[in-house]
Amino acid sequence: MKKKILILGGGQSALYAARETRRNDEKVSITILGEEKQLPYERPPLSKDYLLNKKNEEDLVFNNSKILDDKKIFYINTNIEKVDFNTKTLVSNNEKEYRYDILLIATGSENNKLKLDNNLENEIHYLRNLEEAKIIKKKIENKNNIVIIGGGFIGLEIASSLSQLNKKVTLIEIGNQLMGRIIPKPIADLVKHTHEAAGNKIILNKQILQISKFNENYKILLSDNSELEADFIIAGIGSKPSVSLFENTDLKLDNGIVTNEFCETSIKDVYAAGDVSNFYHPLYKQYIRLESYQHAQNHGICAGKNISGLKTEYTSIPWMWSDQFNLNLQLTGICENFDEIIERGKNIENGIIYFFLKNKSIKGACGLGVAGKVGRDIRITTKLAEKNVMVDKRILGDESQKLNKLISK
Amino acid sequence: MAEENWIEVGSIDSIEEEDLIRFDHGDKTFCVYRLTDGFYATDGYCTHEVVHLEDGLVMDDEIECPMHQGVFNIKSGEALSPPACEDLKTYPVKVDNDKIFIKID
Ligand SMILES: Cc1cc2nc3c(=O)[nH]c(=O)nc-3n(C[C@H](O)[C@H](O)[C@H](O)COP(=O)(O)OP(=O)(O)OC[C@H]3O[C@@H](n4cnc5c(N)ncnc54)[C@H](O)[C@@H]3O)c2cc1C
Ligand code: FES
Repeated sequence: MKKKILILGGGQSALYAARETRRNDEKVSITILGEEKQLPYERPPLSKDYLLNKKNEEDLVFNNSKILDDKKIFYINTNIEKVDFNTKTLVSNNEKEYRYDILLIATGSENNKLKLDNNLENEIHYLRNLEEAKIIKKKIENKNNIVIIGGGFIGLEIASSLSQLNKKVTLIEIGNQLMGRIIPKPIADLVKHTHEAAGNKIILNKQILQISKFNENYKILLSDNSELEADFIIAGIGSKPSVSLFENTDLKLDNGIVTNEFCETSIKDVYAAGDVSNFYHPLYKQYIRLESYQHAQNHGICAGKNISGLKTEYTSIPWMWSDQFNLNLQLTGICENFDEIIERGKNIENGIIYFFLKNKSIKGACGLGVAGKVGRDIRITTKLAEKNVMVDKRILGDESQKLNKLISK
Repeated sequence: MAEENWIEVGSIDSIEEEDLIRFDHGDKTFCVYRLTDGFYATDGYCTHEVVHLEDGLVMDDEIECPMHQGVFNIKSGEALSPPACEDLKTYPVKVDNDKIFIKID
């Protein structure tokens, strides 16, 4: 009998894990079980180029998805509702059973939902998958007064796209800056100014007290008793790992599925990767859960290696981006637990970067600039963080000196 | 005549080793690279979204896009890492009298 590998969840991590497993082992059977109709596709364009009509559905499907057939990787469109780790069986909503020898869980994350005390909850829109993006795209065609609740990356990206579609946009954020405390305040402020210059209204420090409906429109009551009107509401108020399936099982959960540096969970022959995993990072010596494109890919690949018996530690330095208007924001490493910040660059035309140092070595950086302007330096920062070397701070802070100098040393 | 398609980019000193420069000609834009074993040229814009690779990082034979870290092989143009999946067009390069020329079709 062929060894059976099942991958639960049909997103980016699942695809890369399947591909890597096949690369290392031609004999095992590999099946992805995903609840979405589409083959694995990229989510980043959902809030950007897909909303902007620059990319269509086919453009989003990973190029690699085409290899599924060639590599005899099966994609079954099904929703798994039960897991029995003792009998190594997954059960779908139509009672079909799937047996595994090795299981990879890559169920990703899901959006937090607003809690409202009336029956309007179903009228608030969220963006996580293609179906939701399609609905938003269709429904906003004749809407022009859109409120976005939540000033995180996804809310802001949607705000940027809708503004470019000439919609009137108001974004409400509960905190005192956009994108959370992890982003340096000056960068968050620059993003805010960019939105405002494009006509978006950004409201900070306000909570939603109540949403009510009159005719076809909504009234939103804020914590300072002010009121807003909207004809469409989208909320992007954070997300949580998709683990409800495992809540009453032996699988160890803590902010996601607890995973070691080899993508192994607390249960033998069960692995987890991507957004759903809270993994041990050997370089940082702490558990981290990430929601990013690069991580979904690399963690999936690492899981694929370990599933194939190639014991491989996951040591990738976190990296993510967000695109809003003509700006590209990038975040690398861990930007907490630092003892010094160094600033490079003065304006977004050439890019501004904040480096976070601890004991004179770089731990992470956050940069913002016109598309393409911060990427190279952020990439070099990633390499420096990987090596954990002491850096010459004068070079870091001096825009006229190339950072390449620091890696070759 | 084919000869006429060789366009002068500049002197070989205008590019540091393991680096690149942007070169615009007419309405076209290119990247010209200096690797350890010679000079190479590709289209200027990343095939993923419209971002110029002039600000990308050259590592060995690869150029990494500064926007989303898509990676291309500089010599073959092959897209090596997502989100880039479409290959980059490459152009022949020659050096004559310490001057770099690229052949544009
Ligand atoms: C709108 C949006 C924009 C983004 N933009 C960026 C960006 O600009 N830059 C960046 O770095 N990252 C971005 N991300 C994050 C990135 O896309 C995710 O981190 C990545 O998709 C995670 O991959 P994954 O495989 O872990 O999970 P996912 O891609 O979420 O895949 C999980 C899949 O599992 C399925 N599933 C879950 N439970 C079950 C079940 N019980 N049965 C069957 N199937 C199930 C889900 O339906 C889903 O299809 C964005 C995400 C979103 C939603
Ligand atoms: S624009 Fe180059 S990888 Fe996206």
